[in-house]
Amino acid sequence: MTMAAVTWQRLRPVGRLLAVLVPILLALGLVSVGAIILAGPLAAGFVGDNVPLVRFVAAVTAVILLSIPTAFIVIFLELKVIARMNLRIGPERVGPYGGAMSVVHGLKVLAKEDFTPLGVDVTVFTMAPIVTFVGAIMTMLVIPFAPGLFGLDLNIGLLYLFAMSGLTVVGLLMAGWSSFNKYSLLGGLRSAAQMVSYEIPLTLSLVGIVLLAGTMSLNQLVLGQSGSFLDWNIWKQPLAFLIFFIAGTAEANRTPFDLTEADSELVGGFATEYSGMRFGFFFFAEYVNVFIVSALLVTFFLGGWTAPIAWPFAVTMPSLDPLGLGVGLLLGIAALPVVGTLILAAPFWLSSKITTLQALVIGFILFNVVAVGLVIGYAFVSFDWVVGLFWFFAKAYAFVFLFIWMRATLPRVRIDQLMGFAWKWLLPAALLNIFVTAAAITIVSK
Amino acid sequence: MTTAHTPAGPHASLDDPGVRIEDILRESIVEAVPVGRTERQAEFYTLRDGEMLLNMGPHHPATHGVLRVVLKIDGERVVDIDPVLGYLHRGVEKLCENADYHQAICYTDPLEYISSLFCEWAPVMAFEKLLDVQVPRRAEYIRVMATELNRIASHVLTMGFFALDLGGITPVLYGFIERDEIMEMLASLTGQKLLFNYMRIGGVNGDLNHDFLSRLGDWMSHAARQIEANAGLMNENEILVRRARGLGVLDGDTCLRMAVTGPNIRASGLPFDVRRSHPYSIFPELDFDIPTRNEGDCLARYLLRVDEVKQSLRIIDQCLHQMPDGPVMAKLPRLVRPRPGRAFAAVEGPRGMYAAYVISDGTDQPFRMRIHDPSFVHLQLVTLLTPGNLVADTMAIMASLDPVMGGVDK
Repeated sequence: MTMAAVTWQRLRPVGRLLAVLVPILLALGLVSVGAIILAGPLAAGFVGDNVPLVRFVAAVTAVILLSIPTAFIVIFLELKVIARMNLRIGPERVGPYGGAMSVVHGLKVLAKEDFTPLGVDVTVFTMAPIVTFVGAIMTMLVIPFAPGLFGLDLNIGLLYLFAMSGLTVVGLLMAGWSSFNKYSLLGGLRSAAQMVSYEIPLTLSLVGIVLLAGTMSLNQLVLGQSGSFLDWNIWKQPLAFLIFFIAGTAEANRTPFDLTEADSELVGGFATEYSGMRFGFFFFAEYVNVFIVSALLVTFFLGGWTAPIAWPFAVTMPSLDPLGLGVGLLLGIAALPVVGTLILAAPFWLSSKITTLQALVIGFILFNVVAVGLVIGYAFVSFDWVVGLFWFFAKAYAFVFLFIWMRATLPRVRIDQLMGFAWKWLLPAALLNIFVTAAAITIVSK
Repeated sequence: MTTAHTPAGPHASLDDPGVRIEDILRESIVEAVPVGRTERQAEFYTLRDGEMLLNMGPHHPATHGVLRVVLKIDGERVVDIDPVLGYLHRGVEKLCENADYHQAICYTDPLEYISSLFCEWAPVMAFEKLLDVQVPRRAEYIRVMATELNRIASHVLTMGFFALDLGGITPVLYGFIERDEIMEMLASLTGQKLLFNYMRIGGVNGDLNHDFLSRLGDWMSHAARQIEANAGLMNENEILVRRARGLGVLDGDTCLRMAVTGPNIRASGLPFDVRRSHPYSIFPELDFDIPTRNEGDCLARYLLRVDEVKQSLRIIDQCLHQMPDGPVMAKLPRLVRPRPGRAFAAVEGPRGMYAAYVISDGTDQPFRMRIHDPSFVHLQLVTLLTPGNLVADTMAIMASLDPVMGGVDK
């Protein structure tokens, strides 16, 4: 037996993992350093020449990356909040308070067999989850998350939005038609009927806002609502808010409008025949859609990333210029954690009977907490986009909670009630809203 | 879609590496249209233009067990419906005929597994009539109390599943809280949690114990309030009420024609209740109402069960207060051999009249034993009520009729 084999056998699992990973990472690092040295100037030139293209690619990548934690958080909330409302405990074993449960779900879905049943239209069957997923997450491209933090500031942002959410219907219909299953077919047809019907009041309800703001860019719409919470569109367009909320629930296929996958009627609806990651894409798209509808509600009616109350005192932070410190910066970086840990550990070391090591550990943890708090606090007061992100996500997740609450409470409506509600009530109400808004604008501007 | 595949050329061999089994199978997928064996089946399986057969079950989440329903649908609208039974047939009646009278009781237990005390009571009562045994009064009181508890446990579950089939996920879990408390209670009384096997010929298996009574006392103090609150989640829900009102209306004449019993006939305005119409046990001494409703739709059938729970609580309360002392088992010979003859006994189960008909030939085993199960009768109503409604309504109607497949297939 060679030396290497003996060493390998004596290693523990963690050691074996490291023994494999460290060389790979080293090699990757070397290769990337070499690539940067060789191709760096070339790439820099390309980026400098094609800023819009690079920005677009970066934005799309960011949106796809953002959709994964979003889906995880919404799925976890759904599991936990509904469990609490049902007087159950819900997930609690994986991660803190079961927080990693949805991650494990994702891994499970990835590990499952990618199964294609006999008799399906393979091309359409394979394309359907992709279309649904892409249609759902590309909507996030135009949502302004914070001042200056958006994928694209399209001047026809609204139209882009509805075009993209229209793609979702195509995906569901493709899944329903290609699955070679009658439940899927019924689910697909239901989704087509439902989403096409609800897209009309959804779109029309926003015409009033567009009339008021005079723009279709989502960024401009949010900027138009800045000020205090009294400037939000919900006060000017309450009816539109209600219509958008109801139609948005239907667009996201949420209870009480979750007819497309009604589990007590159609087993799984359009997703009956899907398994593995293809089902995972549908699942992801569904929960990302919940977040997107919440985000759109916040953007259009609740002032987007603007704070509810403008901070009355001007906060001016001393501008830090770390580079001006020179060698002092290096010394500070080296000394601050040590000194901070020692200072924070001192009271514990002096006052109680714990050992020095324990006091140091406590001091180190406290130092980290304080440091992270200070950094976040500094970022909060000095960067607009941190404040914007905070308010945006706070408002959006409040609506996500509301959607989950509805899911726990309400039964499902019937298909004829669903369609009747869209065409007999929501559509006339949306038209009335447009009429009243237009008349008011005409009267006020004269 | 219904064209059978006829291979044009010579048959492809599976030994040929160029031939894949998937391709052969994919080409040979033929929609299986069963040939009707009866006139009704032939009519059902003949599809007109735009119609399609949808096979629901036996493993469908909404069919409450292993019921298979074939729906003939035109779009979302149900044109015709054909329930297919027998997926849970165990031959319980035949098994009972090969067991002696004591053993037969535990075969009848798992018939209506939601409310198994009633499945024991009806055959036990028939056996007692055959043997001419006088059941001690304390045993009768205990029987009534335990079965009424079981009735509540069954009704709260039915109410929850009604909401579940309409898409609400919370009420069924709230219903299970009550059911779980009652099941724990009955477990401490009978020793088992689902199939109690508590009734004996001439009495019950054991006397009341402290654990049961303290659990019962705890539960009775909040039961009415709790069940009312849970029902409020459904009664005051506009979506549920709008879906259930006017759906699957069952009139009194149809009820009588189809031999409907239990909550389903009382929701149609006919106050038929075996406890009052053909009194048995100690029910003549107890004070309770027979709630009725006149609408006869799904909502009425659901609401009637809420009313019945309240009456059951009244009965339990009276039983607790009037409970006499004495033995809980009559004196019986070790080997029971009734005289040749026949006996019929019926009890009012949570789903309707639950009855047993027993013929004795003088041996220690029943010569014939037939069990009348209300679920089987009520399942026939699905064929009457569903056509013309939507696919989603099928589940609502089935849930409101509340069949239990264990009892249907026997």
